[in-house]
Amino acid sequence: MTIVRKTVPYLIAIIASFAAAGIFIALTGANVFQAYETILITSFRTPNGFVQTLLKFIPLTLQALAFTIPLTAGKFNMGGEGQMIVGAIAASAVGIVGADLPAIVLLPLVILAGVVAGALWGFIPAYLLYKFNINEILTSMLLNFVSFQIIDLVATGVWRDPVAGHPTTVQIGAGGFLPMLIKNPPLNAGLILALLVAAGVYIYTSRTAGGYELIATGANPRAASVFGINVKRMFVFSIVLAGGIAGLSGVIEVAGVQHRLIVGLQHNFLVLGVIIALIAKGNNLAVPFVAFFIAILEVGASAMQRTMNVPVEMVFIVEALVLLFVLLSDVVRRR
Amino acid sequence: MDSFVTFLRLTLLSMVPFVLAAQGTMLGGRTGVFNVAQEGIMLVGASLGFMASYMLGGNTVAGIIAAMLVGGIFGLALAYFTTTLKMNQFVIGLSLLFIGTGLSTLIPKLIIGVTLSQPLIPTLQDLPIPLLSKIPVLGPILFSHNILVYFSILLSIGLWYFLFRTQLGLELRSVGENPHAADSLGINTVKHRYLTAIIGGMLIGLAGVYLPMVYTGTFTEGMVKGRGWLTIALTFFAGWSPLPVLYGSLFFAGIEVASYRFQAGGIAIPYQYLLMVPYLATILVMMFTFRKTRVPSFLGNNYDREKRSL
Amino acid sequence: MEKEAILELRNIRKVFDKTVALDSVSFSLYPGEIHGLLGGNGAGKTTLMNILYGLYRKDEGEINFHGKKLNIQGPRDAIDNKIGMVHQHFLQIGNYTVLENIVLGTNVSHPGSMDLSAEAEKLADLGKRFFLPVEPNAVVDTLPVGTRQKVEILKALYRGVEVLILDEPTTNLTPQEVDDLFDSLRVIVNEGRSIVFITHKLREVLHVCDRITVLREGRNITSLTRAEASEDIFIRAMVGDQMEIEGSVYFSHAKMANVAANESATPALEMKNVGLKTKEGISRLTDLNFQIKQGEIFGVAGVAGNGQRELAECVTGVVLPSEGSILMHGKDVTALPVNELLKQGVAYIPEDRLHDGFLPKANVAQNLILGYHRQKPYYEHGLIKWNTVYDKVRGYISEYNIKTNGPEDPGGNLSGGNIQRVMIARAFSMDANLLVAHNPTRGLDIPSMDFVYNKMLDHKKSGSSTLLISEDLDELLLISDRIAVLYRGQILGILDRKDFDKYAIGRLMSGIRAEETADLRAAS
Repeated sequence: MTIVRKTVPYLIAIIASFAAAGIFIALTGANVFQAYETILITSFRTPNGFVQTLLKFIPLTLQALAFTIPLTAGKFNMGGEGQMIVGAIAASAVGIVGADLPAIVLLPLVILAGVVAGALWGFIPAYLLYKFNINEILTSMLLNFVSFQIIDLVATGVWRDPVAGHPTTVQIGAGGFLPMLIKNPPLNAGLILALLVAAGVYIYTSRTAGGYELIATGANPRAASVFGINVKRMFVFSIVLAGGIAGLSGVIEVAGVQHRLIVGLQHNFLVLGVIIALIAKGNNLAVPFVAFFIAILEVGASAMQRTMNVPVEMVFIVEALVLLFVLLSDVVRRR
Repeated sequence: MDSFVTFLRLTLLSMVPFVLAAQGTMLGGRTGVFNVAQEGIMLVGASLGFMASYMLGGNTVAGIIAAMLVGGIFGLALAYFTTTLKMNQFVIGLSLLFIGTGLSTLIPKLIIGVTLSQPLIPTLQDLPIPLLSKIPVLGPILFSHNILVYFSILLSIGLWYFLFRTQLGLELRSVGENPHAADSLGINTVKHRYLTAIIGGMLIGLAGVYLPMVYTGTFTEGMVKGRGWLTIALTFFAGWSPLPVLYGSLFFAGIEVASYRFQAGGIAIPYQYLLMVPYLATILVMMFTFRKTRVPSFLGNNYDREKRSL
Repeated sequence: MEKEAILELRNIRKVFDKTVALDSVSFSLYPGEIHGLLGGNGAGKTTLMNILYGLYRKDEGEINFHGKKLNIQGPRDAIDNKIGMVHQHFLQIGNYTVLENIVLGTNVSHPGSMDLSAEAEKLADLGKRFFLPVEPNAVVDTLPVGTRQKVEILKALYRGVEVLILDEPTTNLTPQEVDDLFDSLRVIVNEGRSIVFITHKLREVLHVCDRITVLREGRNITSLTRAEASEDIFIRAMVGDQMEIEGSVYFSHAKMANVAANESATPALEMKNVGLKTKEGISRLTDLNFQIKQGEIFGVAGVAGNGQRELAECVTGVVLPSEGSILMHGKDVTALPVNELLKQGVAYIPEDRLHDGFLPKANVAQNLILGYHRQKPYYEHGLIKWNTVYDKVRGYISEYNIKTNGPEDPGGNLSGGNIQRVMIARAFSMDANLLVAHNPTRGLDIPSMDFVYNKMLDHKKSGSSTLLISEDLDELLLISDRIAVLYRGQILGILDRKDFDKYAIGRLMSGIRAEETADLRAAS
């Protein structure tokens, strides 16, 4: 199938979802085409809009990869949120405690702390799966809820910023800031990290023997095991790696964007990350492209709510519908 | 003693969403459908049920019907995409979860809009059973509740009898164990799958609307707070059986009530730790019971009659 | 005087995706007869009967029962018309009892309480009449295979069937059990019922069937009465022009000369007191002691479920023995994991190819390198050399006649027979020293079976050894140098080729040890 023909079902899905949402938008009395325009064009109207899109692109891509890697092995990591949060907590902790350290020491420590924390948070459901055969969807999800309490504790604890209205910590040391690619509008080097990670994941799954074993594990764990692949180890490895990547998304939010720990930093990145991963059908090469598209929609959604009073959830429904239609297009193709 | 009675009474009150959602999940699972969309269905049931009641001037019945209707629709969608179109049950479940979550916040914003004061509906009345409710201790614990509490208990007993003591129950369970075998004996596997998914969805939607109708009187974003996921865990370690589901729900509700009690009771532990307890407790229980639980053999799979066994 | 046919299938056509499974096939059944439906794997026999039973929908053609046209939408319609089917792979609910399995789908006397005493009585009665005794409250997945088959037959008889279809009923039976089955079939038929007997074993068909219809590649080839039939006619009918019958292994009636195995070299495989217990302490293998010589094909016979899979998995390293040791060429390999054993020259064709050996969601190339993906020539410095892989895979596709669009074709597109070819290609791709093959020809048509036998004999000629575990006794008799019989996890006897005797082996398969046989003979 040529690339053009491959994108047709996606285009149909997008058009259909927009049409469905358009009906709702019209019912609220808003101008449908103005809404469409706002959603799609805001990212490209101003440099700030474009940078905002990229800033969303980073966590969305990483969260999507945190879902696709275990998905390749046949497992569902729903813990991206919690892994992101603990990654952010670790990054902030190191950034605050080591605030006086120079960047050359502090920044790598901050990144490392976040990635390791996320990996550990992913290790818990992975280990429960390994040892007790407990479904990882449940455990990873439950740990998300636990992480909400932890971040609340941290942000209202010793490091609390007294003047902020919302639970937030004080700023991390300047040495922990990610370097900026552009000063104004603020685009941080997290973008490079995200792109490197995406490339690395793609090379890993498509070219290495380890990546092959991951694919075989997901294709038929029993057969993979009979022919020598340590399937259980693959499960653990894939979820821990995913946790580290999700942790990195938390690090970048702290070290690159906010420079402090803010409760609620995870937004809805997990849900959108899962949607991106499923729309991309688990294909690591497609993930960044789908993520960029979703980032455009998200930026457009906020603009639409600000300027036209149409709730952002409308765009979320569009995104969920795109997923559903893309899934259905597979069924149609089968027939 | 008094606070113990109150504790048990609150536990029975709080077990209802768990019982309803878990029985709905269990029923679908007995025909092989593994529903993971509970969180979203409960949210949309809570949201739309609340709205229906609110817009009809606080009409509880309308709220219940609306919640069950939307839950049934989601159940129907789940059945259609998995049983008829043979799509992956987890992926469809997650998709429905997303749609339900999105609709639950979108629809109130569209219809009620943003208001200064919280829109409220009257909460569900208690229906004390005459005579029995006057018994000391047992009276307030068991017999002075709202109608959905009684319904949950009767539902659990009824489901147990239906599944394990009737011919139809035998047939239904066979669909979740080996649909090839059931099909070859003339049992309509598709009908069983659709019915359990729809009824299950209705129960889950009802579980959702219980939250505004009994706890808070209003709908707030994310008010289900992970109970949908806890339901799945609960159904697993109840071995997909109706009576253990009831006991397990009591246990979960007990933990939930206890952690709120400790919070209010001024214990020195920061409240965040107490709020973590239900989730951590669930993980602990799963560690001890997962090995031993029995799961319907065909759970999570879709049956295709014409698929040639290679 | 010929009676009227009670059942007629006319010009049935069935297409799956792009494969024509049945091309205008007709079949008629007379009252009181056992009618054999004969053909190799893939001939269309099961498909035809699945259509009659309602599990598949026909694309064209008609079905007439007692002169009336039948519109069968599903098994319910077939059952209502008193047609019953016993499938090759039993369709039972494992955790239900025998009685529950039998009454499932019928209207019981007490649907609101499930008091099944009346039903149990009816079942006991049937069991007596047809020599099929079963324990009604036993849970089905605790029963041995032979008993489970009785349950399947009783399921149909309980519903008062007039036409009973049996799909390869003798696959999992010892020769003696086969005789008992045939006796039961005669009783069933003597009361006026009719039986359709699907099989690929032509000797059985000549033994028990009144009439025989042969299918090949979805078409009618011939229909004969037993009087008109002969083995040669059937061989030619089943195989047509697809292969040279004269030079074939399959039809050689085990007349091949024995190529002497290498006595002096260290044995390729040595099993010393090997035992295997499950987690719950149940013994699956007990005290296995045998050697496989270099260049030998060592057959293992037995009814399914007597430890064959466990044996294969111990030798290939999938499972660790609880006791004893396994040596290959004198080296202790007992604790080696699978990937090490594969590197040492072991190859495996598992019995359950779909679950244990194939990756439907991966492509053909990914399937062919499974297990060997960290070995040359596919692997270097942590990376897989996909160009090399694709070249090799293209070669295998043509050598093994795998019907596929190419190395990147998704595995799920392949038919059963082609999946088996992939497994076989994989097993022979690395010049293995010890091939462990478990039911390697199951699901293959006769020319393909012949191809596999030739490959195995080539493998033997090059000095390599084979552990051939098979539930098809004829296959073992055909190409093994020696046959060991596995019964309840123990080896009851090992016979040399010169001593091969089907009934002697059959007795061992039933658990009757050699000394007991001598005693029986002495006593009679």
